[in-house]
Amino acid sequence: MTRLQTQGAVIGYGGTPIVHGVDVEVPDGRITAVVGPNGCGKSTLLRALVRLLPVSEGAVLLDGEDIHKVPTREVARRVGLLPQSPIAPAGITVKELVARGRTPHQKVLRPWSAADEMAVTSALHSTQLTSIQDAVVDELSGGQRQRAWIAMTLAQDTPLMILDEPTTYLDIAHQYDVMDLLHHLNTRQERTIVMVVHDLHQAARYAHHVIAMRDGVVAAAGSPSEVFTEELIREVFALEARVLTDPVTGTPMVVPAHGPGGAR
Amino acid sequence: MRILRIGPLGITTHRRTFAVGLAMAAALAALLVFALAQGQANITVLDSLKAAVGIPVGAPADFIVGQVRAPRALTAVVIGAMLGLSGAILQSLTRNPLASPDFIGISAGAGTGAVLTLWLVGASSLWVTAAGAVVGALVTAGLILALSWRRGIVPLRLILAGIGMGFVAQAATQYVLTRMEMHEAGNALGWLVGSVTGRTWTHVTVAALALGVLAPVVLWHARALRTMEMGDDAARALGIHVGRSRTVLALCSVLLAAAAVAVTGPIGFIALVAPAIALRLTRNAGVTLIPSALMGALLLLAADQVAQLMPTTVQLPVGIFTAAVGAPYLLWLVWRASRGGPA
Repeated sequence: MTRLQTQGAVIGYGGTPIVHGVDVEVPDGRITAVVGPNGCGKSTLLRALVRLLPVSEGAVLLDGEDIHKVPTREVARRVGLLPQSPIAPAGITVKELVARGRTPHQKVLRPWSAADEMAVTSALHSTQLTSIQDAVVDELSGGQRQRAWIAMTLAQDTPLMILDEPTTYLDIAHQYDVMDLLHHLNTRQERTIVMVVHDLHQAARYAHHVIAMRDGVVAAAGSPSEVFTEELIREVFALEARVLTDPVTGTPMVVPAHGPGGAR
Repeated sequence: MRILRIGPLGITTHRRTFAVGLAMAAALAALLVFALAQGQANITVLDSLKAAVGIPVGAPADFIVGQVRAPRALTAVVIGAMLGLSGAILQSLTRNPLASPDFIGISAGAGTGAVLTLWLVGASSLWVTAAGAVVGALVTAGLILALSWRRGIVPLRLILAGIGMGFVAQAATQYVLTRMEMHEAGNALGWLVGSVTGRTWTHVTVAALALGVLAPVVLWHARALRTMEMGDDAARALGIHVGRSRTVLALCSVLLAAAAVAVTGPIGFIALVAPAIALRLTRNAGVTLIPSALMGALLLLAADQVAQLMPTTVQLPVGIFTAAVGAPYLLWLVWRASRGGPA
């Protein structure tokens, strides 16, 4: 049994279910990618995994316990989230933003502790932001800003990290920067990572486990080579594609089977 | 970021915020001494300080300072702090510098409630008027929320609904005024201008009690408030009870504004301007509650001193001077927003 999983979870907004009874296991110490077409419910599932959404039937289990019965602060000490579009308070510096990740570890009348300072320093270091820790977040490039948010989630110091489209607004070089960073955090710090990604190539390269969703249900789950087959891409994305082998990493590479001048 | 730790209670703050806060507190103390000692009657600084805390020094200081200047100055200090705090909370919750209780109709609603109470019950006691103001403010806040609610709070809708509700409340107030006896209406009108003139120790007590109860609740939720500025999802993921904290904080903001209106009548712009100045002085990222309160106290006391020093035969109400400072700031905000900057 893994630390984070769902059992027959029905999830939705205000009574309209978007995810219909899914059983998902997040393998410990691995990178899990959730993929699927727009509106398939992948973000909804992700939000339920961090308790941002209630589950109307079934359950989300954190360490075997119904996540809605775990105290809010306790959830925040075990599962960290990088939301899709977080707001950086105007004028906040990188270090201040990262320090906010310590919120679940602090109490109203308890000072900033040595442990807090250490977690922030280490988060800045892992994300290579130490040299620009006093820069204002609004003035950073998109890639640096995303690294700062990841650093905030890191400082939260949770064994499980959940990221909702961490690469969506970044250029391609920065996308791979972020992916390499996540890979590094996973291998060096043994963090369990769950992320929603749109780029199947990145999912196949960086994830150990892939959950493919369609219409609110899990269409397939398994290793990238198990999930990324021509048949499944057709079923999940309604896309005719060929699956080749990535010449660099040997992982599956999904290539659409039609295009300008290409064979249909 | 240099963090300062203070004492075993472990209040953490930035050094600059702490220094600015100390400077504000010192300025406030100095201005308070000035407010007690300065006036047409010649009373020494020492005598006025003694008289203010109730040590008899003989006529006329005992009365002029003890019963006129001291309650007036302290009312300005406490009400200013309440307005600064109320504005800071609302601006932080909505992430919009335009959201302050006077701008989005809360103060106008409190005014309607108070005037309605004056009409129905009469000017029996400040507590009754205060209760009327609180009910008026809560009803207005409830209506604003109901009008702007779209599966959550949408700041811009909230502000627009608030401005609209403010006009409705003002119209209601004016209707009530037309129904009142002439002398009652005159009194109510005088109160509606917003002034600290002629305030007594009862006013100071009501205000201090409201601040004394609400400020600790607000400060207890300061971390939640700061964290919610990063968005609801981020705040929840950081272990904040978003719904509960937001309700408590919004309620405190409304109650602070309502109590302030009950004591002094609606005084505009302090709640709008004080948090903004505090933010600029401390260069804090995000809401800064105590400096906002100190700034509000400083601004209102200063504005009242300026009002008293004006060479006019009648006492000018302080609200006129807060508007003189606040209106240009508001215009600047609107101008900046229209140029595509952050609203």
